[in-house]
Amino acid sequence: MKPFRFGVTVSQVGSAAEWRDKARKIEDLGYATLFMPDHFGEELAPLPAIAMAAAHTTTLRIGSLMFDNDYKHPAILAKEAATIDLLSDGRLELGIGAGWMRTDYDQLGLPYDPPAVRVDRFEEALHIIKQCFTGEQFTYHGEHYRVTGYASWPKPVQQPGPPLLIGGGGRRVLSIAAQKANIVGINPNLRAGEIGLDAARDSLREQTDRKVQWIRDAAGPRIDDIEIQMRFFITRVTADRMKLAEALAPSFGVSPEEALESGAALVGTEDEIAEQLHRRRAEWGLSYVVIGDDNVDAFAPIVAKLAGT
Amino acid sequence: MHSRKFRFGVACSKGRSRREFTELARKVEALGFSTLFVPDHFVEHDLAPTVALAHAAAVTDRLRVGTFVLGNDYKHPVVCAREMASLDLLSDGRLELGIGAGWMTADYEKAGIPLDPPGVRIARLAESITIMKGLFAPGPFTFEGKYYRVTELDGMPKPVQQPVPFFVGGGAPKILGLAAREAQIVGINANLRSGDGASPDAAKSLTPAATDQKIGWVKAAAGDRFAELELQSLVGFVMVTDDPTPILEGIANAFGVSVDDARVAPPCLVGSEDGIVASLEERRERWQMSYHVIDDNAIDAFAPVVARLTGR
Repeated sequence: MKPFRFGVTVSQVGSAAEWRDKARKIEDLGYATLFMPDHFGEELAPLPAIAMAAAHTTTLRIGSLMFDNDYKHPAILAKEAATIDLLSDGRLELGIGAGWMRTDYDQLGLPYDPPAVRVDRFEEALHIIKQCFTGEQFTYHGEHYRVTGYASWPKPVQQPGPPLLIGGGGRRVLSIAAQKANIVGINPNLRAGEIGLDAARDSLREQTDRKVQWIRDAAGPRIDDIEIQMRFFITRVTADRMKLAEALAPSFGVSPEEALESGAALVGTEDEIAEQLHRRRAEWGLSYVVIGDDNVDAFAPIVAKLAGT
Repeated sequence: MHSRKFRFGVACSKGRSRREFTELARKVEALGFSTLFVPDHFVEHDLAPTVALAHAAAVTDRLRVGTFVLGNDYKHPVVCAREMASLDLLSDGRLELGIGAGWMTADYEKAGIPLDPPGVRIARLAESITIMKGLFAPGPFTFEGKYYRVTELDGMPKPVQQPVPFFVGGGAPKILGLAAREAQIVGINANLRSGDGASPDAAKSLTPAATDQKIGWVKAAAGDRFAELELQSLVGFVMVTDDPTPILEGIANAFGVSVDDARVAPPCLVGSEDGIVASLEERRERWQMSYHVIDDNAIDAFAPVVARLTGR
């Protein structure tokens, strides 16, 4: 069983000073990692922001949740990731996904290929990125990328590379993650291209059980080396969990009790949440808990109690 | 007093550790340089510029940070714009956005990116600059170009500097024309049509006579804008010495130019401190160049010149 650790996702920042203070606070409160998403809405670009967060802190890990593979050539992403790892003294967690948010692609004028094509391309990109991290010269001629006689520099501080974080909700991506990643993120299936009812229902307990089984099947003995991560979208420290559950239930189309058990929710008193996390770790192997930055303070006591245990 | 004030930058592509790069950025700031630049290549360069500049900005207070220069073909302009706007925001407005059409053959070949003819690359760069400026400005932006299509995208975040200074450089009429029309900072560079920065063709394009010609192209394309442009030069060879003659003779022989040309040619600064100061003043008189970028291995020797000329 892996020790608990906690991450925070931050996507919006008003100024340089605010960002510095936020990164330092997240570090001080005992969170392991500051993550940034990668979309074209209100969010900052993750790359410069996490580089700066690393510059302002000393132990906090920084990561992407996730870089969208289709935005950049993998050799470029690998060089950027290696540079962050170097300049942070080895604190990067590299989250990469095959890309899913339809509006991003439309706004950029990028083709939104069928999931199978995006995932094929993603697999090729993973191969290239891993090769880049060796610092050795390599050639790779795939269906989507051609790299010829290239040696990537710098070499990341963490070897054989920064921990690779791959997340998904479908069987194929979760299987790839189980075979190749150090951290596997269990997400709702985002085949719809947006977060809606389909995604919400896909985070229910039964669906999550099934995803965990896919991961175990694909990982084989590797399962012991993998950290399982979940990003909780519905998080509230409250003495009256049922009240929130009743409000939530209709958007999942299930009973309030079932909504509380969903893999998207962490709701209750500090003790109830701690109990729930212990139970989920026992059942799902979940040990890496990611919340949004609006809950950084409310969850701090839970982090203090559970982190590292 | 001259209307174009001197300032100096440092181009750095080396970085072996967090500590070393942090110390370099702080030193460059302390020595009075205006800007730290990081190039953008796959080969023979250590650091990815966006990351390195974010780090440099975080560990300094006043130092400006610049890309030197982004290869336009390496990233989609919308991705680039968001990274650059974030960098400007998180550095409190210290970004200089250098971008070029891309030229280093090895980068393209090794990464498997198609290397189109220069005209196409420059046309694509022009579209990219339009897109970035559109995303930096308020409100949603739509663009239908030959190479890129952007649909009702309100670029976020908005940069602190309005406008963000663009830096475009080159050595041939088309690219310098684009720079003169679109950039705040124009780099008077070698002609890199050969795809190799160390080629004789690139070196020959850096003589004083060739520089006169480039300034003519910039003036013609800039029109009234010329007065607002800052002209920049990359000085790749700096040597502070009280006996410059043998070195200048060596350069003159190697490149087939006169010793006097070697003394004034924009990529070289060889001489005593007084000699270098005089030569920089001569370059500003002749070409309006006021912004000089040196390599990071010369910053200590060059610091007294920076102290004497910055802001003058």
